[in-house]
Amino acid sequence: MSDEPAAFASMSRKVPFEIALGAAILAAWVILAIGAPVFAGADPNAIDLLAILQPPSLNHPFGTDHLGRDVFARVVFGARIDVWMGVAGVLPPLVIGVTVGLFSGYFGGLLDTVMMRLVDITVAFPFFILVIAIVGMLGPGLGNYFIALALVAWVSYARLIRAEVVVLKNAEYIQAARALGYHPLYIVLRHVLPNAISPIVVYAMSDAVLVILAGASLGFLGLGAQPPTAEWGVMIADGQPYVIDAWWICFFPGLAAVTLGLGFLLVSDGLAHALKVTS
Amino acid sequence: MTEQPPPAPLLSVEDLTVDFGAPHVAVKAVRGVSFAVNVGEIVGIVGESGSGKSVTCRAVLGLLPWMARVGGRVSFDGRDLLQLSEAEMRRVRGRHISMIFQNPSSHLDPLMTIGRHVAEPLRMHFGYGAARARDAAIQMLRDVRIRDPELRVDSHPHELSGGMKQRAMIASAIACEPRLLLADEPTTALDVTVQARILELLKDLNRQRGLSIVLISHDLGVIAEICDRVVVMRNGVVVEQGPTREIINVPSHAYTRLLIDSQPSRLSQQHGKTARPAAVATTSEPLLAVDDLSVEFASARGLLGLLRGSEKASVKAVDAVSFDVRRGESFGIVGESGSGKSTIARAITRLIDPSGGRITFRGASVHDLKGETLSAYRRAVQMVFQSPYDALNPRMTVEETIAEPMIRHRLADRSGARKRTAALMAMVELPAELAGRRPRQLSGGQCQRVSIARALALSPEVLIADEITSALDVTIQAQILSLLRRLRETQGLTTLYISHDLAVVRMFCDRVAVFRSGQLVEIGAVEEVLARPRHDYTRRLIASAPRLEAATASEEGARDMDTGSAWKGSHG
Repeated sequence: MSDEPAAFASMSRKVPFEIALGAAILAAWVILAIGAPVFAGADPNAIDLLAILQPPSLNHPFGTDHLGRDVFARVVFGARIDVWMGVAGVLPPLVIGVTVGLFSGYFGGLLDTVMMRLVDITVAFPFFILVIAIVGMLGPGLGNYFIALALVAWVSYARLIRAEVVVLKNAEYIQAARALGYHPLYIVLRHVLPNAISPIVVYAMSDAVLVILAGASLGFLGLGAQPPTAEWGVMIADGQPYVIDAWWICFFPGLAAVTLGLGFLLVSDGLAHALKVTS
Repeated sequence: MTEQPPPAPLLSVEDLTVDFGAPHVAVKAVRGVSFAVNVGEIVGIVGESGSGKSVTCRAVLGLLPWMARVGGRVSFDGRDLLQLSEAEMRRVRGRHISMIFQNPSSHLDPLMTIGRHVAEPLRMHFGYGAARARDAAIQMLRDVRIRDPELRVDSHPHELSGGMKQRAMIASAIACEPRLLLADEPTTALDVTVQARILELLKDLNRQRGLSIVLISHDLGVIAEICDRVVVMRNGVVVEQGPTREIINVPSHAYTRLLIDSQPSRLSQQHGKTARPAAVATTSEPLLAVDDLSVEFASARGLLGLLRGSEKASVKAVDAVSFDVRRGESFGIVGESGSGKSTIARAITRLIDPSGGRITFRGASVHDLKGETLSAYRRAVQMVFQSPYDALNPRMTVEETIAEPMIRHRLADRSGARKRTAALMAMVELPAELAGRRPRQLSGGQCQRVSIARALALSPEVLIADEITSALDVTIQAQILSLLRRLRETQGLTTLYISHDLAVVRMFCDRVAVFRSGQLVEIGAVEEVLARPRHDYTRRLIASAPRLEAATASEEGARDMDTGSAWKGSHG
């Protein structure tokens, strides 16, 4: 043990390039989604049967689809749903999973046994099949997709944070906090949670990608957002019959989904590196 | 040693420099280090963390990471090792020079048997067949005094104790009869009685086989125990070198003097017994009484075990232990790893529940406390933990850490806590400008001061210190101990000092309890126990502690040694 401060810990103050790039992509999509009516330049649902399956041009930068709707406008409006999906599909399972994992890991005992068996049962089913089954039962639609996610996806968060907490609760500073007579709830929230949360943040980012792509797939299957809503998955499904002659109908929403996912992944990857140093 | 023309040294390191990182921001780990090791000699390199002693050692074997830049000369048996290619270097490692490391558990492959660890270098360097290598391995294990080598040869590392693992690592290192052994803190992770036996083994290997050894240690006592010559390093530079006895008796460099004066055994001599309120300790009533305390740890049964209703297997960490701690005294708890000493501390602070017996504080049973009375107990009995970094929340600043207990116990509002935090920081001699730092930006010694300040924030009556200096450099340990001694006097603290180090306990405590395998072996006044130990184990513990004085005693033996003729080859 040196008596000189660990100099390397605080060396990288500046934001890593990965995070900056990822955040810029995400920010761009959020701005596009919020300002969709301004940026779109056209009504995403306006049907123009005189201008169907038009290739990209100055008038229609991304071309038009089989009903003559402007693909660019639909991609921009679709961002509202898909970006929202990355948030609403991730936050509820995250909150549920973190709460369960945190307390079950810290307090152990019967609570832990019951919760972890529940996790085991959920994990025993393939993630996608379970989500599709639940949405199938509840009926198609985005709201039901989010409910299905909350029911299924929390287990990953619960497992992840529990593993952290089980190790952490034996750390001397947690023991010290107990010896100092703090309330257990206070210890969990103030001392355990902040030190256990970093893998969750990283995982949530990559989970957002999964949720968006799964949402798009569900849209494609007709279980997600319903037509004529402009949603990337639905758009790709709609454009599928014309993919040979009018590639742009599928290509641009696909590209949008990829860039949004890339943004989340870059932030996730960068955070993984950045958080490792400080924690 | 100075008669006749001096023989060429076996290893000579000249002006060795090691830099890490890009040229303009290079960290100079080693700067112009020169020393030599003669045939049959044991040379000690002593220094604190960051002194460059391990880096020097690794540079000799070419084991540094690729971003290291090495300069200077390392001649071994007439060859400059730094000029050798990687392939040539591989033939040197393990064959002519080998190395053993600090933590035997992490340096042995858990999937490989002990026998294969020892046989591997023989197969690599001498091309032994499996059967022959196995026989040789058994012989090697016998040579390093592992009992039942025929059985142990097939054991995996986890089946052996720490000391046995270190023996196995030594066997593996000397299997090819190398001429030089580099031992990097070989006993630091071991208990003191085990350490004594490993040092004895190294010394015997040196005498019987003429094996030259470079022993790296932070512990001057260990060095003094077996080394002929000492190299003292600090911040990548050799500050002093010479025969062990000279260095220890008449150190010429100020840092060497500091290092020697920081040894706990020297500290107690300096401070004397002036501050001992011994009379108080014997007359005052017990403040904290431990009565027939037992702690068992149950191993988990799992779901299947639960269904089968199988018996819970349990380990007795503390077994029917009784002692009193009196108001104002400093009570020492001494023991090796697994003795249950930390478990007792945790039971007293109610971090774990005992399986039997009771602990009373001012006559009230600690385990019946609830709510406000429990909070009051927590305020009265505080604990400082072992590892400097792990005991502090890495995300909280120094100020937040120290102020938190006062705020949570409603002893002060925010501004009051802030003021008192400043006072506490001054009390533990922490510069005020560190208030905004986080643990990672502090040194180990500073972290330990923060931990002490945090414990003192609640103005406790009893302070439990659980091995609080064992992770620190010896000079820092001396500072922390003198701080603790001062706090004890000024704050009237009753202290429970837990340590594996008898010398520290002798310096710091009035009474001592010696523990072994969860049982109380011996208890009494420190001077009494250390001067006239009644129990066999205590005697062994005292005898095992490395002492600086050993240097003077071992001088004769070292001179008698016939370096050349002891060299023999039993196989190969």
